[in-house]
Amino acid sequence: MDDEPNALILRKLVLQKAGYDVVTANSAFQALDVLTAQKVDLVLSDQHMPGQTGTELARQIKSKWPSLPVILLSGVNEIPPDADIADLFLSKVEGPVNLCRSVGDVLSRSRTF
Amino acid sequence: MTNSDKVNILMVDDQPAKLLSYEAILGELGENLVKALSGREALDILLKNDVAVVLMDVSMPEIDGFEMAEIIRQHPRFQRTAIIFISAVHLTDLDRLKGYQRGAVDYISVPVVPEVLRAKVSVFAELHRKRRQLEVLNRELEARVMERTEELQESETQFRTLANSIPQLAWMAGPGGDVFWYNQRWYDYTGTTLEEARGVGWHNLHHPEHVTRVLQGLEHSWETGAPWEDTFPLRGQDGEYRWFLSRAVPIFDSHDKITRWFGTCTDISRQLAAEEALRKTERLAAMGRVAGIIAHEINNPLEAITNAFYLLQTHPSLDDEARSYARMAGEELARISHITRQSLSFYRESQQAVPVSVATVLDDVLELQRRHLRISGVEVDKDYKSNVLILAYPAELKQVFLNLVGNALQAMPRGGRLRVTIRDTAERGRLPRGIRISVCDTGSGIKPEDAKRLFEPFFTTKSTKGTGLGLWISKGIIQKYDGTIRFRSLKLNGGSATCFSVFIPGAMAMQKPELAALSGV
Repeated sequence: MDDEPNALILRKLVLQKAGYDVVTANSAFQALDVLTAQKVDLVLSDQHMPGQTGTELARQIKSKWPSLPVILLSGVNEIPPDADIADLFLSKVEGPVNLCRSVGDVLSRSRTF
Repeated sequence: MTNSDKVNILMVDDQPAKLLSYEAILGELGENLVKALSGREALDILLKNDVAVVLMDVSMPEIDGFEMAEIIRQHPRFQRTAIIFISAVHLTDLDRLKGYQRGAVDYISVPVVPEVLRAKVSVFAELHRKRRQLEVLNRELEARVMERTEELQESETQFRTLANSIPQLAWMAGPGGDVFWYNQRWYDYTGTTLEEARGVGWHNLHHPEHVTRVLQGLEHSWETGAPWEDTFPLRGQDGEYRWFLSRAVPIFDSHDKITRWFGTCTDISRQLAAEEALRKTERLAAMGRVAGIIAHEINNPLEAITNAFYLLQTHPSLDDEARSYARMAGEELARISHITRQSLSFYRESQQAVPVSVATVLDDVLELQRRHLRISGVEVDKDYKSNVLILAYPAELKQVFLNLVGNALQAMPRGGRLRVTIRDTAERGRLPRGIRISVCDTGSGIKPEDAKRLFEPFFTTKSTKGTGLGLWISKGIIQKYDGTIRFRSLKLNGGSATCFSVFIPGAMAMQKPELAALSGV
């Protein structure tokens, strides 16, 4: 989930390369549609989007699918006070390797529960 | 004549008839006439009364007049009492001289001429009265002088108490600027004596860069009488300079002439430091806002570009050479990411400070570096002797210790020992109570020529690997907590030990289990 198309496509490609199936959405509204329509194992969303923040989206997701893990990515170095709603709050500049590893970590953690 | 104005006249004669005749002669003077029939009786009366004149017969049985006079004169109270001798026999000049030597004042020969006796007695009575009035006046004057002296002493005491109790240094100088008085606080602060500071001796307490201006300002005021004001550093007895706001005003006499100057110096070092801290905070806040904007604008495209080059590195359509370019670009981008993460995350990440367990933060940092520590073969020695909480931003503390542990790791590429300690420190002198964290390594050590520049921005000993911002930022963060960061590097037999020590003041109560949950990063 990201409102910036370039960032969204490139992140999708990086994750696909790591072996994940990726569905993209460019708004929170579209993201919720996707979640309703198909089974998803993890949500990776930008924190700063026009209209709605990532944490607000995460709250909505958690109210409907409490066990669905959510990772939020942020371009600024400020952690919002409600960041705890997400399973992980990551900086965008951690790099692709760290990103893939974090996604793997969160997925394996959610599967053990 | 009132009763109190009357003086006593003592008449001494062994013959009652004579006493009666004297009484008749002197009666019209209106004074108190007291009679005595013998020398003894006369003495008794003298001791009990204030007698103006003694009228005494020279020839008396037992003690004669002269002997009597001698006895009277021996008593200090009667040394100036007037004595008039009445003598029936002719007195030679020698006799008179003898009389005078014994303290006689006058003589009257028999037969007594009433007018002469009255006149003589009257003169002495008047003299005595005047002296009595003078004595009263004198006593009153003495009492008033005493009173004024006490008032002055009280006023002086009040002035001294006031001058010594004010927080300012105070001084007084003559019209030309020669200082002749300082309050106690001046001596306590400067450690000088009046002898050392008198006149122009105080000049060398001024900072060399300021003394000329200060003196010019003062000279101008001495000449024109205009009040003086200036701000300058003044050296204390510990050798340190503190800043003072100084003022002097002239004190005029009733003819508008300057009699002295009164001056004070107020220590404004604290205010200046507070203002500087405020300016720094404002600057930091402004930098933080700018940093936030820049972070957003740089990090977003940075992520996209990094991902793009990452994909390129392994893209099947590229040959090895093109992929190596993509890999190089990726490495350089990683440097940019590193620097934006370090420098742009300098600013507060949460809105308010929370109770933080430093032990938890350190454990988190060591956990993060666990893999690196293992690979480098570094042995970790933890020694936490504190369980207090401090009010802080966990991410900031984490950044500081991640930096110190990271530096230690890089100093020990071929293994070593990392020792991490936490200690509570009690209040000591100017140092408040707080917590001291040490991160020590047995790595390559710090060269003396690098030591001075270690906390400067963009200074790095790691050539291409470091940003040169780590310690600078760490110091900035610790200073925000009013803390200090120091290091020591020692050469030991063959190796060296480097120890970074962070002090953070203001430890909170003992850690409680429910608070520990809050302190997670």
